Amino acid sequence: MATQAESGRKTQSFVSVHAGTIAVLAGALLLAIVPLVGSRYYVSVFTQILILSIFALSLGFLMGFPKLISLGHAAFFGVGAYAAGIFATRVDPNVVLTLGVALALSLLLALVIGVLSLRSTGIYFLMITLALAQLVYVASQQWESLTGGTNGLVGIPRPELFGLLRFDRTTFFYLVLLLAVLSYLLFRTLVRSPFGRILIGIGSNEQRMRAIGYSPRSYKLTAFVVAGAVAGLSGALWAHFNGIVTPEDLHWSHSAEALIMVIAGGAGTLIGPMLGAALIWLLESALQSYTDRSTMITGIVFILFVFFARNGIAGIAQSAWERVRR
Amino acid sequence: MSEIQTLATHMLNGLAYGFLLFILAAGLSLIFGMMDVINLSHGSFYLVGGFLGVGLVDDLGNWWLALAVSVGIVAVLGLIAEISLLRPMYNRDHLDQILLTFGLALIIEDASEWLFGTTIQSMSYPRLFSETVEVFGVVIPSYRLIVIFVGLLLAGALYLLLERTRIGSIIRAGVSDREMVSALGFNITAIFGGVFVCGLALAGFAGFIGTPILGVYSGLDFEILILTLIVVVVGGLGSLTGALWASLLIGLTQILGQAYFPSFASLIIYLVMAVVLLVRPQGLFQRRYA
Amino acid sequence: MGKGDILVPGTANGASTLRRFPFAVAMILLVAFLLLVGCGGGGGGGGQGGGEDPIRIGVILPYSGVYAQLGQDITDGMNLYFEEQGMEIAGRSVELIQEDTEANPQVGVEAARTLIERDEVEIITGTVSSAVAYGVIDLISQDQIPFVISNATGNDVTRRGIPYVFRTSASSWQVSYPMGGWLVDNGVQNVYVSAPDYAAGQEQAGGFKEGLAAAGGNLVDEAYPPLGNSDYSTYLTNISQASPQAEWSFYAGTDAVSFVRQYAEAGLKESVPLYGSGYMVEADTIEGQGDAAVGIRTGLFYASGLDNPENTAFIENFQSQFDRDPSTYAVQGYDAAWLIGEALKATEGDTDPDALVEAMEGVEFQSPRGPLSLDENHNPIQNIYIREAREQNGRIENVVIDTIENVQDPGA
Repeated sequence: MATQAESGRKTQSFVSVHAGTIAVLAGALLLAIVPLVGSRYYVSVFTQILILSIFALSLGFLMGFPKLISLGHAAFFGVGAYAAGIFATRVDPNVVLTLGVALALSLLLALVIGVLSLRSTGIYFLMITLALAQLVYVASQQWESLTGGTNGLVGIPRPELFGLLRFDRTTFFYLVLLLAVLSYLLFRTLVRSPFGRILIGIGSNEQRMRAIGYSPRSYKLTAFVVAGAVAGLSGALWAHFNGIVTPEDLHWSHSAEALIMVIAGGAGTLIGPMLGAALIWLLESALQSYTDRSTMITGIVFILFVFFARNGIAGIAQSAWERVRR
Repeated sequence: MSEIQTLATHMLNGLAYGFLLFILAAGLSLIFGMMDVINLSHGSFYLVGGFLGVGLVDDLGNWWLALAVSVGIVAVLGLIAEISLLRPMYNRDHLDQILLTFGLALIIEDASEWLFGTTIQSMSYPRLFSETVEVFGVVIPSYRLIVIFVGLLLAGALYLLLERTRIGSIIRAGVSDREMVSALGFNITAIFGGVFVCGLALAGFAGFIGTPILGVYSGLDFEILILTLIVVVVGGLGSLTGALWASLLIGLTQILGQAYFPSFASLIIYLVMAVVLLVRPQGLFQRRYA
Repeated sequence: MGKGDILVPGTANGASTLRRFPFAVAMILLVAFLLLVGCGGGGGGGGQGGGEDPIRIGVILPYSGVYAQLGQDITDGMNLYFEEQGMEIAGRSVELIQEDTEANPQVGVEAARTLIERDEVEIITGTVSSAVAYGVIDLISQDQIPFVISNATGNDVTRRGIPYVFRTSASSWQVSYPMGGWLVDNGVQNVYVSAPDYAAGQEQAGGFKEGLAAAGGNLVDEAYPPLGNSDYSTYLTNISQASPQAEWSFYAGTDAVSFVRQYAEAGLKESVPLYGSGYMVEADTIEGQGDAAVGIRTGLFYASGLDNPENTAFIENFQSQFDRDPSTYAVQGYDAAWLIGEALKATEGDTDPDALVEAMEGVEFQSPRGPLSLDENHNPIQNIYIREAREQNGRIENVVIDTIENVQDPGA
C-alpha cells in the first residue's frame, strides 16, 4: 500500500511532488484578497479559521507521522494563549515578545508532558495526555490572580510591532496568514527531512526502528515539543484576536475538537488538518445561526465521512485530482 | 456523628459511586480489550438508559418493569448501531472508529436534547428503597447500599461467566489473541456483536440505576464517557479485575478527596490516572500480551 | 488493511474512486452551501419593508446546553414587550437577531462579534454567563454599542462604570447580601455556606458572608464543590456533621436540581433548614426539584406570587402568549426589552450610541418586580424579596414572606 511519503520519494512530476505546497500557496494568495473584497466579517471569519488551522496542523503532524494521538493538545494552545494574554496586558503587547513568550512556555510544557507521557502508547498515551492536560486546565481555573479564574482573562489588546505598527483587523489577518503558511512550510520541511523519515518509520513500526538502532522516544519527544510549541503559537494568536482567554480553551473538549479536525481533514497529510479546521468551524459556528440541530448534522457528516471519505477532505481532494488527471 | 462515622459514610458513598462506575466500565473494558475498538458513544447509551428510565417510570408506574424495558430498548438500539455502523469498522483504523463513534455520540446527544429538553430530569428511588437507613449510627440512603449490592452481584456474575463457562473462555481467548480464536473456527462476528451489545446494555443499565442519584441531562454523556475511559485505562484494557479495582479506586479517592481535600476535588481523578500510568504505563492489570 | 497501517490517502483504486466521486461532489456542494449561509447571512435583512431600516437588536443567549431554558425565557420576555409594541418603535420596525452562546465564553464572544460585524446590530442584549459578559464588554467598548445585560450577575460588570453597559437583573452581591442580615434578625446565627467553585458561586457566597458578618452572625464552615458536580453526598455528610443552625447555598440550573434533591433525600432538610440565593429555586429548577424544594427560603428581586398590577398583567399576558408560567428570567428579559424600547421612543428611533445611553438613563420602569430604577453604574436599585417555596394551586410557587426594600449595589 502506497503511503504519501513513499509516493513523495518516487520521482514524479513537480506538480504531484509539491501538490500540497502549491495548494497552500494558492490558497494563501486567494485568502490574501479577502480583505480587499470582503466585509470585515469575512476577515474575522478567515482569521479565526486560519488560527484554528495552525492548531489542527500541529496536532495533525503528531497524529499523521509519528502516530501520536494526543487528547491533551489544548493545554499547549491554552498555555500559549494565557502567556501571550498575560504578557500583553501586564508587560508589553509587542507581537515578537508575546508570541515568543507563548512559544517558550508551551514548548516547556510540551517537554514536561512529553517526558511524562511518552512511556505509554496507543490509548494509554491518549489518556495520559488527557489527564495531564486536565491538570493544567484545573490550574488555569484556580490560579485566579494570574488567569482571572473562570471569568477568564479579558482586555487583551491586538499586538503592536516595536511602535512601528499597531495591528488592526486587516493587518492582523495578514500576520495570521503569514504564520499559517510558515507553520505549514515548517512541518513540511520536517516531514521531508531525514528526521521526518525516521518519525514516519516510528509511526509505522516502532519495534523495527528500535532494532535498527534509533531511539524512538527522543524522536517522538522532539516531534511532540515542536507540535506543542506551534499549538502555543496558535493559542497566542487566538488570545490577541478574541481579546479573551478562558479555561475552556484548555478543556479536553477543545483537544477533542482538534482531534476531529485532523481526522475529518485527513490524518497523514498536512493540508488535510488545515482544511478540517475550516470544515469544523463551518459545522460548529456557521451552521448554528441557521438551525437548532447543528450538532446532529455534524454527527451525521462525521459518520458519512467515515463510510464514504475514508481519508477525509484530503482524500476527497486527492481522488478528485487523480480523476481529473486521467 | 463522630469522625469515624463520618468517614464510614464517605466510604459507603465512595463504594456506591465506585460500583456504579464498574457497571459502566465492565462493558467498555471488554469491548476495548477484546475487540480493540474505541467506542466514544458508551456514555451516550448511559444517557439513553437514563432518559428512557425517567420517561418509563412515569408511564409504566412500575420501577422494576421500567428498568427491564429500558435496558431492553437500549440493547436493541445497541444492536442496530452494532450491525449498521460498527461492524464494518472492526478492521478499520482507530481514527476512523473515533470519528464514527464521536459522530454517533453527537447525534444521540442532540436527539436527546430534542426529545427530552435541556433541563435535568430526575427519577425517584423505587418505593422499596426510598428511606435512609442507619447502620451503626451511619445514615445513608438505602438506595446506595442497593447500588453496591448490584455492583457486587454483577462482578460475581461476570466472573463466573468469564471464568467458568465455555463462552467466557472464548471471550477471554479473544482478548488475548483474536486471530487465534477466529482461526479455531468460532464465529467471531457473532461473539463480537454479542459482547458489544451486552456492553452497551450494561451502560444503559448503569444509566437507569445511576439516574436516581445523579439525575440525567444532555452533557452528562461525555462526563460519563471520560470517567469510564479513565477507569478502563487505569484498570488495564480488557481486564475485568482491573476494571473492578480501578472503579473502586476512582470512586473512593474521588469521594474521600472531595471530603478531605475539597479544593482539589476536580483534579483528583486525573491525578490518580496520571500517577497510575506513570508507574504502570499499561494500567494496573494489563492482560494482553504486548 | 491491517491495524498498523498508516492512514494516508492515495489508496484509491478505480472502483473506490468511482464510488467516492459523487460523495466528493456532494461534499463540495455542502461546503459551498455552508460558506454561503455562513458568510452571506447578513445580506437578508435589508430587503423587507419600505421606508426606514429596521432597528437591529442582537440577542446573545444560550439556546442549547444546560442553560437553554434560561435563554428561552429571557427571549420570550423580550418578545412579549416588543409584541405589545407591535414590533415597531418610533415608526421603525424591530428585528431581534439571536445567536447561541452555549455556556462557553469563547462562543459567546464569537456570537457577539458575528452580530456586530455581519448583522451590524445597533444594540446588544443578553448573556446568561458573567464570563461571556466580560468578554463582550471589551468588544462593545471598542465599537461603542449599548449593551443591556439581562442575566449575568458578575459584580464587576457594572462596578466598572462603563457608560455603554446596563443591567436589568442584579449583581451577585445584591441578591445574596440582604439574606445574611435577615437570617440573623430571625434568630439564625450559625450558618454553613456552600456554592459551586466558579466566579458567580464565589461572588454570591461572598455577598452572603459579608451580610452575615455585618449582622454579627457566624460562619460555621464553607464548601465549594466543582461546577457541574452531580453527587453531593460528601458535602451533605460534612454539613450534617457540622450541625449548623442553617445552610445557605447558591446553585443554578442542573446543579441546583441535584443539590436540592439530594439535600432532601439525605434527610437534612428537617434538621438543617436550607436557605439560598433565589436562582437556586426558580421556574427552571422547580419541576426537577419537586417536593424537595418545598420549604426552602431564598432571596431574589422577583417572585411569581408578587401582588402588584404590573405583575398580574405580566403573568396573564405571558401565559396567553406562550402557554406557560413566566419565570424571573422572563421578567429580566421583559425589563431589558422595556429599557431598550422606551429609550428608543425617547430618541425617536435614533440609535446613536450616546443618545441611546442618555435616554436609557432616563427610562422609568413599570416592572412586574415592583419598584425599579438604575443607579449611576446602570445597575438596578430594587427590592429583595425573601420567598418560601410552597405547594399551592397544585404546584410549587415562591411566596413572598418578607421584603427588604431598595437594595443598591455598593459599587466599586
